[in-house]
Amino acid sequence: MRWLLFFSLIAHAEQRGFVDVRTTLFPQTAPSDSGRVIGDALLRYEVRQRLTPWLKVDGAIDARTDSHRQYEREFRIDWQDRGVQRPAISLRRFSVTAHKGRVTFEAGRQFIRWGKADILNPLDRFAPRDFLNVIDNDFLGVLAARLTVEKGAHTVDLVLQPRFTPSRTPLLNQRWVVLPRDLKFAVSQGAARIPGGVQSGARWNYLGRGFEMALAFYEGHNHLPVVDGRLLPGLRVELFNRFPTMRMYGGAGAVPLPWFTVKGESAFFKTSDRGADDYVLYVVQLERTVKEWTFVGGYAGEHVIERRVQLDFAPDRGLARAFVGRASLAVDAARTLAFETAVRQNGAGAWLKSEYTQQLSKHWQARASITVIRGKQDDFLGQYRRNSHAILALRYGF
Amino acid sequence: MSKYALLLAVAAMAQDARQIVEESQKRHRSNSQRYEGVLQVFNPNGKNSEKRWQFSRVGNYGESKALLRFIAPPEVKGVALLIVNHTDRASDQWMWLPELQRDRRVALQDRSTRFFGTDFSYEDLEERDVEQSDFKMLGEETAEGQACWKIESTPRKTRASQYGRVVMWIRKDIYFPVRYEMYVKDQVVRRLHYRKIEKTQGVWSALELNMEDLRRKGRTVLKTEKLQYNVPVKEEMFTLQALRRGE
Repeated sequence: MRWLLFFSLIAHAEQRGFVDVRTTLFPQTAPSDSGRVIGDALLRYEVRQRLTPWLKVDGAIDARTDSHRQYEREFRIDWQDRGVQRPAISLRRFSVTAHKGRVTFEAGRQFIRWGKADILNPLDRFAPRDFLNVIDNDFLGVLAARLTVEKGAHTVDLVLQPRFTPSRTPLLNQRWVVLPRDLKFAVSQGAARIPGGVQSGARWNYLGRGFEMALAFYEGHNHLPVVDGRLLPGLRVELFNRFPTMRMYGGAGAVPLPWFTVKGESAFFKTSDRGADDYVLYVVQLERTVKEWTFVGGYAGEHVIERRVQLDFAPDRGLARAFVGRASLAVDAARTLAFETAVRQNGAGAWLKSEYTQQLSKHWQARASITVIRGKQDDFLGQYRRNSHAILALRYGF
Repeated sequence: MSKYALLLAVAAMAQDARQIVEESQKRHRSNSQRYEGVLQVFNPNGKNSEKRWQFSRVGNYGESKALLRFIAPPEVKGVALLIVNHTDRASDQWMWLPELQRDRRVALQDRSTRFFGTDFSYEDLEERDVEQSDFKMLGEETAEGQACWKIESTPRKTRASQYGRVVMWIRKDIYFPVRYEMYVKDQVVRRLHYRKIEKTQGVWSALELNMEDLRRKGRTVLKTEKLQYNVPVKEEMFTLQALRRGE
């Protein structure tokens, strides 16, 4: 009966999704991972049901499996998506949106993006990611209530997140965690210490005649962890993630000039945690489209005000102090070619990804990409130098 | 004396050209519009692909707002474009990308780019308001089998455009445009044909648009289905929040 009700509800809903089957090939093994080939499959199903002209429900579910034990094997719907491994079945989105005139209210698991830049978004505090693969990562939804009021050129966004969703970090026994070679003790991965309490934030956005700007504030915890450890009997150390408090004051702007669009985004992060840093992240980028090419290039910078952290996992800061660029070409209606790169200003790390996508038919799409990572062991990007890889993927969209 | 007469005649013809375009826009006015578009993109190598979008518009020439949302194929489903037209300047455009859950402003200098692999550029999706161009009568000609006025429009400084000029053919019997030729310098770069011209709810409409990109040698055919005029459409459907909500 319940299924009957479910199917009758979605029969008139907007639906979309895909099945993506992917093979990742690593030419080199890594100290903590001897695997060279990983196969994985993802089914994503999204549904939108408009209950009344002013009320709608959005839902999305992911079902995954892989050959490398990065994903759970347990058959259950994980609505929180906060575990160490990627769940086999997760509720990606489930939210109710109501709107009346200038006011929109969305409650439930949803995606909230505040950043304006393309290469790094310091303002995206409600946008944790799944970093099982540090380079090819995906956003995670957050459980939140969001109130948006739009009046003319002004938009105010208020967000309350009653249940914290952290970013998922790479697994300790796999190649995206690089431990020192000369460790004298065994290391194990403990459960993350996920904070309770409410995260909150506000953003004001203004659309000017020749520019856009936004100011944002966030109070809560960083979704990227500081890594702590505790000694266990028998020369063993258990590492665990914890998520320091964070207050953010940030701003972003975009100005289209005659030759290119300039975008900037910056945020100051302050913490009361004795094991985390106070710092500023900023990004300045130029973008331009010439015929079928789109170019984005810029600099992501960091200024540390007070350094206290011993060990953390912070890809946003890891990508800072770097020149970052992206170029994409729409060859025709069915084919695209894209290049992305990040080069650290001191030359200690670099990453280059090229991807070719071809639409084979109305539903089928093929994708091939090559990622090359180079650098020194002590650099965030450079530490992954044995993780250069190629991906072959086939997608059926519906 | 003859010089003045010539000047007066040129001024009168310019006025005529503007009046014809104004009359054309006035006659085909509607408070709102909605249709489902089927886009067939023919590449120079002959291969074609199909896309579908839903289009809604509220308001009249120069001050209208339009929302275009792809409904097929799967890889672009949900991608949307919001166009806010202005009488005194080029439109504002924002793109919604569901994969990224983000909106993105389409900068003025990027509007000459092809729209999602079709032969329409972003600029071609804007309305061409009378106040933003100067007009010149080039004569009378038969186009698409109909007697037409041939009128040239050149953008005023208030309107940045990829095109140096646009030549249009307007049917004399019903004041409806049947062909546009867009020029960059002295070269025709795009040609737009209006076909299957019929009256829908008392408004003359082209049910098929054929856009040729003469540099790329590709063409896109846009067929309109389920066309409706003066449907109840709320202004609040044409905001950035509505774009995000997936209206």
